[in-house]
Amino acid sequence: MAIHILGIRHHGPGSARNVKQFLEQVKPDIVLVEGPPEADGILQWAASEEMKPPVSILCFQPENPQQAVFYPFAEFSPEWQAILYARKNNIHVRFMDLPVAHKFALDEEKKQAVAVNDKADIDPALQSDADIPVQLQPAEEADISEAAPQRFRVDPISELAAAAGFADGEKWWEHMVEYRKDTQELFEAVEEMMSELREAFPDTDNKMEQLREAHMRKTIRQAEREMFGNIAVICGAWHAPALKNMPKQKEDNDLLKGLPKVKVDCTWIPWTYSRLSFNSGYGAGIWSPGWYEHIWHHPNDDGTRWMALVAKLFRAQQIDTSVAHVMEAVRLAEALAALRNLPKAGLEELNEATLSVLCNGENILLKLVNDKLIISDRLGSVPVEIPKPPLQLDIERLQKKLRLPATAEQKEYTLDLRKEMDLERSNLLHRLRLLDIKWGRQSNVSGSGTFKELWTLKWEPEFSIEIIEKGTWGSTVEDATSSFILHQAKEANTLPVVCSLLERAIPAALPVAVEKLIQAVNNLAATSDDVVQLMDVIPPLVNVSRYGNVRNTDAGMVLNIVESMIERVCVSLPAACVSVDDDASAALLEHFREMTDAVNLLQQATLNTQWQQTLLVIAGNQSTSPSVSGYATRLLSDYKILAGEELTKKFHQAMSPAIAPAIAAAWLEGFLKGSGTILLLDNELWAVLDNWMQQLEEDIFIQVLPLLRRTFSNFAKPERKKMGEKAKHGTTGITVRQTNADPDHERAAKGIPVIMKLFNYPM
Amino acid sequence: MSTILRQHAENLFAQELEELKKQDDEHRPDNWVLSPRAVVTYLNGGKLKNGFEVSPKYIGNKRLMEIAVATLTTDRALLLYGLPGTAKSWVSEHLAAAISGNSTLIVQGTAGTGEEAIRYGWNYARLLAEGPTPNALVETPVMRAMKDGKIARIEELTRIGSDVQDALITILSEKSLPVPELNTEVQAIKGFNIIATANNRDKGVNELSSALKRRFNTVILPVPDSMEEEIDIVKRRVESFEKVMKLPAEPPALQEIRRIVTIFRELRSGVTLDGKTKVKMPTGTLSTAEAISVVNNGLSMAAYFGDGRLTAHDLAAGIIGAVVKDPVQDKIVWNEYLETVLKTREDWKDIYRACRDLGV
Repeated sequence: MAIHILGIRHHGPGSARNVKQFLEQVKPDIVLVEGPPEADGILQWAASEEMKPPVSILCFQPENPQQAVFYPFAEFSPEWQAILYARKNNIHVRFMDLPVAHKFALDEEKKQAVAVNDKADIDPALQSDADIPVQLQPAEEADISEAAPQRFRVDPISELAAAAGFADGEKWWEHMVEYRKDTQELFEAVEEMMSELREAFPDTDNKMEQLREAHMRKTIRQAEREMFGNIAVICGAWHAPALKNMPKQKEDNDLLKGLPKVKVDCTWIPWTYSRLSFNSGYGAGIWSPGWYEHIWHHPNDDGTRWMALVAKLFRAQQIDTSVAHVMEAVRLAEALAALRNLPKAGLEELNEATLSVLCNGENILLKLVNDKLIISDRLGSVPVEIPKPPLQLDIERLQKKLRLPATAEQKEYTLDLRKEMDLERSNLLHRLRLLDIKWGRQSNVSGSGTFKELWTLKWEPEFSIEIIEKGTWGSTVEDATSSFILHQAKEANTLPVVCSLLERAIPAALPVAVEKLIQAVNNLAATSDDVVQLMDVIPPLVNVSRYGNVRNTDAGMVLNIVESMIERVCVSLPAACVSVDDDASAALLEHFREMTDAVNLLQQATLNTQWQQTLLVIAGNQSTSPSVSGYATRLLSDYKILAGEELTKKFHQAMSPAIAPAIAAAWLEGFLKGSGTILLLDNELWAVLDNWMQQLEEDIFIQVLPLLRRTFSNFAKPERKKMGEKAKHGTTGITVRQTNADPDHERAAKGIPVIMKLFNYPM
Repeated sequence: MSTILRQHAENLFAQELEELKKQDDEHRPDNWVLSPRAVVTYLNGGKLKNGFEVSPKYIGNKRLMEIAVATLTTDRALLLYGLPGTAKSWVSEHLAAAISGNSTLIVQGTAGTGEEAIRYGWNYARLLAEGPTPNALVETPVMRAMKDGKIARIEELTRIGSDVQDALITILSEKSLPVPELNTEVQAIKGFNIIATANNRDKGVNELSSALKRRFNTVILPVPDSMEEEIDIVKRRVESFEKVMKLPAEPPALQEIRRIVTIFRELRSGVTLDGKTKVKMPTGTLSTAEAISVVNNGLSMAAYFGDGRLTAHDLAAGIIGAVVKDPVQDKIVWNEYLETVLKTREDWKDIYRACRDLGV
């Protein structure tokens, strides 16, 4: 009976090659791999044709899908190669890590015990080099940044590297293990090395690690008991010594006894290379997945193939790169490797050569190489027959139908909503956004017209979790979205929230939900006493009703409630404008402006008249707060309801000496809100203002001066300048309307031929 | 002690080169004095097997020097690129000294550098008397380097006119220099290569043609990364200056160097070291080399006009001279910096007052 312990680095192409060779040599009858035992059942798909790494096992708690762990694999992951070997040779393969069920339960316990700092369970030292499971809660950025500082604590491999004269533990491991072609006794060497390290940096107080190793040993014993004679164990290098030197069985069993448990589901999901890299916050990440894939496929490449890839990339970016460049770069990389006493040029040497030969020393282009080749935006795929949550299936079906493939690369789509396909695409993206699956980001499209939408799409692997979570709301995107937003509306039950949901639901084309939301809005509006709140929600709803033209949605329903809401506002607004303090009236003015825009946008004569009537009432009411009254007057003058004689009269009334200066000034501020152009153009109005000013007593003038100043400071600088000039020149002003009652027709006729010629009209 | 004002690198560091040569048992490319790895050690400094300490010539990213040396082992030439004062010429001199044992084969590039300064010229008296003969030919440093298999240096390559620059193309690709007048050519001996320097600021002057660019590997020498690195550079260079100039002044206090480096870094990056206050940036580059010369200048002042101790007053004039390159704009920048940053620092009162007294 033989047990072979193969200590590896997760996602190391060299380790993967060694594992593969070793397995082919010793021909084990069972392979045990570090990974979640719950996933044993889905291992059958690993060797499927359609399974294309990078993929990941996703373990989650069905009741709480956000509690999830990923076990990612790339083609060059040793574990993946071990699994593939086992599947292809029809031998048993099992995962042996501590079941995720216990892990979640323990985490939960810990979380309850210590509300803060719930992430301490993963040992920092291991996280950097020898730990695959990663608790990554994708929605929470904080978690990712929290993982980063842990790397700065002692990393045992770095200690060894430093002893060997390498600055970086990663680099050292790469050159010692991953790039090595001669693999004999490598696993023994790794194990010895790790035993030394484990002695030097004992890690005895980490309960979780002990549990994990105990469970691994338990699985090995189990395999022995089942009379497997030739057992291969693939585990992180760090664990190798702990599995080699088995303690007493009883100790492990005691340790593992009575662990809490929760229900866990597993599935395969596609993964991306960028999620495999350290940059994404993945603790067992690697810096260069794309590069690793390259050396996995081309272990004997001396850099020529790689530099050819770089050259191809550069050429695609219209950067002239000749074959001579590639040759020179390879030569330089080799010279550098020789200088550094390395048997083979590694990624650093190739990068430095690229920088120096191809990029003329500028490292901007090197970033491109890093994004496209070294990390590369590859997205894996999994077989269709893997049991997936129905919502996921529906999304995939729609993606296929609408030709919107999920890619890890950012892609832009400009959708023309007049086309059926694009309209459906837009509906899907809007729906997913309502479901908090942020696949698409909408940006402003250039040019006018509401029939265009610009979307930027980028698929993230963690959407899988979101999809599982939202799967509880329905099994198709449409159903799930509808019930999800109705649920949200019911929870919130306030006008602004429901209205914003309605606003977002209309472009998502959800007629059932929209109808219910409209009802909800109607009910809420009817019971709402707060006219300001009503004014708040009307403008977005009006915008929504405009959408109806492009999308075949029934905007009529929205229009109906908007009308009734505007009526409500018109009725209760005058009363709401009485005795309002300064801040509140400033806010009111803003609402007035938006309401006016909204009413104008609707272009309905009855609503217009109603709104104008309301304004007249407000402006005429003596007890309306002065700035509101002023602004209402201004709006009326914009509507040309008040003009000429009448407007001047209003102005006089408001500014008459009997009115307290502070009130008059507030009125003026309201009236002049937004623009002073009217003052510049209307000489009569100007005269009224000017007269009023000149009549002011000095002390009263001083009293109102700050208010006036505040009003005028809102105007644009050129406006103020013009007003100053106008004031200087006296009441006549500089804008003199020139009217010549009797033009000289004969002279004018002479110019016509020239003008016709200029416009290129035939005479 | 020799009376020469400034020694060449190969003379100044003759002992180091000798020791390196003794210890160097690795493969040397043809006509190289040292092996590539020994050259890197010479530049970056380090301890030899026998305990001999090699002083670092270039302080900064070790990998840059490795790229530079590796380039010279291939058949591409080396172009050192960077802001003025980032030790381009310094590195090129030491590279030549370590590789060929000779850093004197140098062409200074100017707008007036003609083709005859790069390829060959004629002794016209001889040419008239004897006609075109080898004797009438005037060899350039480049031609001599080709004949002897050594490194030739071209300073400020981008200042040379484009037509003249392109004379280098044949030399670099064919490794030969035809002399049609004599119906012969000079073929380069192994070990020949060219190190050129050029600076970023004058980028637009005479951009290299892409054909020529292709013959060069570019290494950009950056301004020092960290404060400590820069202080280290200034300190070492100032100490070597003292040795050469035999200044009687006390060695400069680290604190003074730190303050100058701080001022230079802050003005260069446009923000104070604590990252809290923005400052305007002057027009000059304020390189490390300038910081070195300010300290050297201050030391001379202290030695000859002061009491031998380096004080803020000795440094003030140098600092202002380095910062205020444009009498109008830079003056505003400097005064603002003086009043808003220096004034507020408690223990910088002396330097603030000294600068104020000089008043620009």
